[in-house]
Amino acid sequence: MIIKKIMTLISILLIFLNTTKANDYYVYVCAESEDEVALIKFDGKNAVVEKTIPVGVWPLEIEGPHGITVAPDGQHWYLSMAHGMPYGHLYKYTTGTDKFVERVELGMFPATMEISKATGLLYVVNFNLHGGHENASTVSIVDPEDMIEVERVETGVMPHGSRMLNNGMKHYSVAMMSGTLYEIDAMSMELSRTLSTSPPMKMNAKHSSHKKHKMNNSSHSMDRENKKHNGHDMGKMAMNHQMPPEKPTWVYPHPNDKLLYIVNNGTDNVVEVNVEKWKVTRTFKTDKGPYNCEVSRDGKYLVVTYKSAAKTGVWDLSKGKEIAKFNNTRKVTHGVSISPDSRYAFVSVEGVGKEPGAVEVFDLKKLKAVAVAEIGKQAGGIAFWKMTD
Amino acid sequence: MKKFLAILSLSITIVLGQPPRSENPNLKFVFEPDSISLNVGESKTMTVRLVDKDGKQVQAAFTVRGQRKALSVEPRLSDSTGVSEITVKAYKSGKLSLRAYARGVKGEYVSGRFTVDVPDPPLDRIVFDEPTDKVYTGTTVNYSVKVYDEANLVRDDLEVKFTSSNKNTAEFDRFGNLSVKKAGRFSITAAVENIEKTLKVSSKKNPVKTLNMLAEAKQIRTGDVVKFTAEPMNSRGKIVKDVPIVYSFSGNAIYADKFVNNSSSESVGLPAAGLITDEGKFVAETPGIYTITAQTSGFSAMAKVKVVPRNVQRRIEVVGHGTVSDHHTSDLWVWPGVGKHKGKDFAVTGTHSADGEAYFWDITDPSKMAIIDTIKVDARTVNDVKISEDGRVGIISREGASNRKNGLVILDVTDPFNVKITKMYDDNLTGGVHNVFIYQDHVYALSAGTRYDIINISDPSNPFRVGSYELDTPGHSIHDVWVENGIAYSSNWADGVHIVDVGGVPQTEQSRDKKNFNPFLALAGKGSPGNPIKLASKSDPNGHNHATFPFVSQSTDKFYMINGDEWAKRIPGSEESIYQGGFHFVDFTDIDNPVETAIYQVPEVGSHNHWVEGDILYAGYYYGGIRVLDISGELLGDLYAQGREIAFFEGRDPNGKIPNETNVWGVIPYKGLIYFADHYNGLWAVRLVDDEPMGTN
Repeated sequence: MIIKKIMTLISILLIFLNTTKANDYYVYVCAESEDEVALIKFDGKNAVVEKTIPVGVWPLEIEGPHGITVAPDGQHWYLSMAHGMPYGHLYKYTTGTDKFVERVELGMFPATMEISKATGLLYVVNFNLHGGHENASTVSIVDPEDMIEVERVETGVMPHGSRMLNNGMKHYSVAMMSGTLYEIDAMSMELSRTLSTSPPMKMNAKHSSHKKHKMNNSSHSMDRENKKHNGHDMGKMAMNHQMPPEKPTWVYPHPNDKLLYIVNNGTDNVVEVNVEKWKVTRTFKTDKGPYNCEVSRDGKYLVVTYKSAAKTGVWDLSKGKEIAKFNNTRKVTHGVSISPDSRYAFVSVEGVGKEPGAVEVFDLKKLKAVAVAEIGKQAGGIAFWKMTD
Repeated sequence: MKKFLAILSLSITIVLGQPPRSENPNLKFVFEPDSISLNVGESKTMTVRLVDKDGKQVQAAFTVRGQRKALSVEPRLSDSTGVSEITVKAYKSGKLSLRAYARGVKGEYVSGRFTVDVPDPPLDRIVFDEPTDKVYTGTTVNYSVKVYDEANLVRDDLEVKFTSSNKNTAEFDRFGNLSVKKAGRFSITAAVENIEKTLKVSSKKNPVKTLNMLAEAKQIRTGDVVKFTAEPMNSRGKIVKDVPIVYSFSGNAIYADKFVNNSSSESVGLPAAGLITDEGKFVAETPGIYTITAQTSGFSAMAKVKVVPRNVQRRIEVVGHGTVSDHHTSDLWVWPGVGKHKGKDFAVTGTHSADGEAYFWDITDPSKMAIIDTIKVDARTVNDVKISEDGRVGIISREGASNRKNGLVILDVTDPFNVKITKMYDDNLTGGVHNVFIYQDHVYALSAGTRYDIINISDPSNPFRVGSYELDTPGHSIHDVWVENGIAYSSNWADGVHIVDVGGVPQTEQSRDKKNFNPFLALAGKGSPGNPIKLASKSDPNGHNHATFPFVSQSTDKFYMINGDEWAKRIPGSEESIYQGGFHFVDFTDIDNPVETAIYQVPEVGSHNHWVEGDILYAGYYYGGIRVLDISGELLGDLYAQGREIAFFEGRDPNGKIPNETNVWGVIPYKGLIYFADHYNGLWAVRLVDDEPMGTN
């Protein structure tokens, strides 16, 4: 009994320490039109640019750092550089020293990425922003240790929002111009399932007579499909496909690995997908132009960036309601990363033209804006690095 | 207790707040056998096991992958036993990587690496390069070969050994030069590893009895090309045409404007530098007295040539400057006004990594140039600006639009004081338009860095795409396109320059005088904007082809393509890069056999956009300012070293975006002046002064 009381006291003390001590939070943020990556330090009150890291190799060309991620062990950060000749690259840097390590050429306009905790491999979408919307693009799978591309899996037109389940076993991405969620098995590196990102009611009402959409509006196991379709067939399939209105731009798994949240940028909603049942279970109507999202590690909050509205929304997932909405300090809200203690959301805001980009910090406990740090033009990809005492 | 542990666990996680290390140190992969070697196209089986640190089998599924496009693995996914027998097949040679990945316990991953040694494919054959099988005694003949492997690839990593069957008759040195000693029949063999190729050769008694040397000139300037012709004669005084002749030169440099007794006390340390070709064309880089020697058959002949300074250097004088202090400046265009503005002159400049602005300038009095209007679009960079031939339509390119839909903007510039946006056009151009060109109611716009689209703007408010030109090489990329007389010249990095008929009017034979002769126009007439037809191309082995300007030499019968580089290299010990490169002069007079004959490269700075007027090259050279180069006459060798540079100028401005520094983007000669855009400080107008060249340079 005494031991139990002591243990309880210790645990209460730990929680108290956690809530009262001042942590420093560090995030890496891309400035896409500045060819810079900024390291932001936030001490609970103020956010400052700790360091600016110039990236790219051309002194006067804008190469466009777009996506960024920190390895699960925190030792390296990885950067997708959108523009190449013509292919983009994945760059590897050491955290802290921010020294360049190596790079590898990928596909057209590589963008969002994440490293699997199960395989240690990095999965990055080749967004291919350039030009037409006819051809399916790919997800590149890279061994981040050797910096070699080991596989390329074809998905849809303009894939974006590359995220893994927390167990690292499944990779998810959405394709903007295909209106589809893609699941890749991290081990087999093969496409396993697809799903339309349309909310169910809307899908039935709008597409019931739409033959071309029929395929995407139903769930698909790709085990069988893969045997029938090679990559080229998938490309042709996409070419015959009319552009869906959803234009999904992001997918993020719930920490419980049972749910996914998909941002439909074109129809102003976020849909929740049950991974096991492989169907849309809830739809959250959002403000204009939702773009990225992230779920807090405690599973309570969904933070959504509203690109067109220049706002950031905080949703209570248990209630399915937006509990706060913040005006951002400038236009074109972009990405979000939530601290591991589920306390703060770090939001990147691009700005327009010469306007500096920004990282805005929101307190998810007090539901208020806390700090802003200005960085280079077009703040975009954002990744949490670490917390320190 | 459970509740407590959960709280404790959560608290510790929250307090630490750090991402876990995710590589499992207690598991590893074992590959059996521990080394394999495969030939290209060959398969072998091997076993991969997942074991713990004590070597005990671990039961878990894993995946094995070969290096993409090099090694295939089947099956790639194991079952749950933790053991997999795989078949590995090689598709290319090298030290190739095989990797295994598994999800370890507690979510940590395990990876293992195995290197597969795939030797180069066996050699297949040796082919002599245009060999001669009849040689003369007393001569030296060079033989070269190409070695092919079984994959039909040329292997230039091998050292080929040449031997003669009779060393008393003819003998090779280690560079493939055959010295012919006696008349007779023998064979020569080229060998490498286990293959060889033999050629029968006969040597004849050398008929040459004398060797004469003819020179086109006795005195030239640095940079002038002079042809020396050696004439080997037989005993009857007739020229022997098929004996090889070796040309060489030596010289004494004279480092002064005046030759005193053909020497100078200032010449210490200065080399007598130049170049002589196998055909006897000689060009000198430094003034001096040069001796040209021809050798064959044990005979030699000499001729001397005096090389004097080129003396083309002139000063540059600033006529006017318009400061742009809040943004970086990109490209420029200059044109004469039309309608009510006839008689005036105007310019437009773009802005880079800024606010999407383009500035319109009244340069009628260039000493008082001033911005008269500004167009602002949703972009961060207006990289390129162009005006139509009739001075009514402008095009600016957009990069960095906030909605990521870039493209181009069509402007009405009839009244440059009041420029209006006619149309925003981004159809299939959303990836960003880096460069454009306007020619006869069509815009040639780079799209996605992979092709150029041809867009009809005869009605500027209703543009529509009529054609497109894209290469089919792997990973092709384009940087620039220039259209002149219905021929499009695009610059495609490693794929080099592509010359395309987009409506070229065939050149009549009467109009093919040497000042106007473009051999591609002789081929033109089948293409159109809607049907671009490739006429020729030449790749760039360096991969730096950034911009190309066709050049009809006004002083020779030559037609060149002047191909500008753009590339950057890291500064040793620094994270920064600096631009490098220069201009390559490719003689396209024979369009089937284009040859690079000369280069203009300024040390330690890199080239950007360029323009040619008459026999003068105007070059934007980034940190090296603007450069003006004499490109008259035949072009051979290192033009910079030959003293052909007429002038250079660095436009520094204390009020610039970057004060007191220069960074020239583009340059256009116009009405006797040189206009250039400086990335750091805006628009300049300068002119060459000193009608009499001021001396050597």
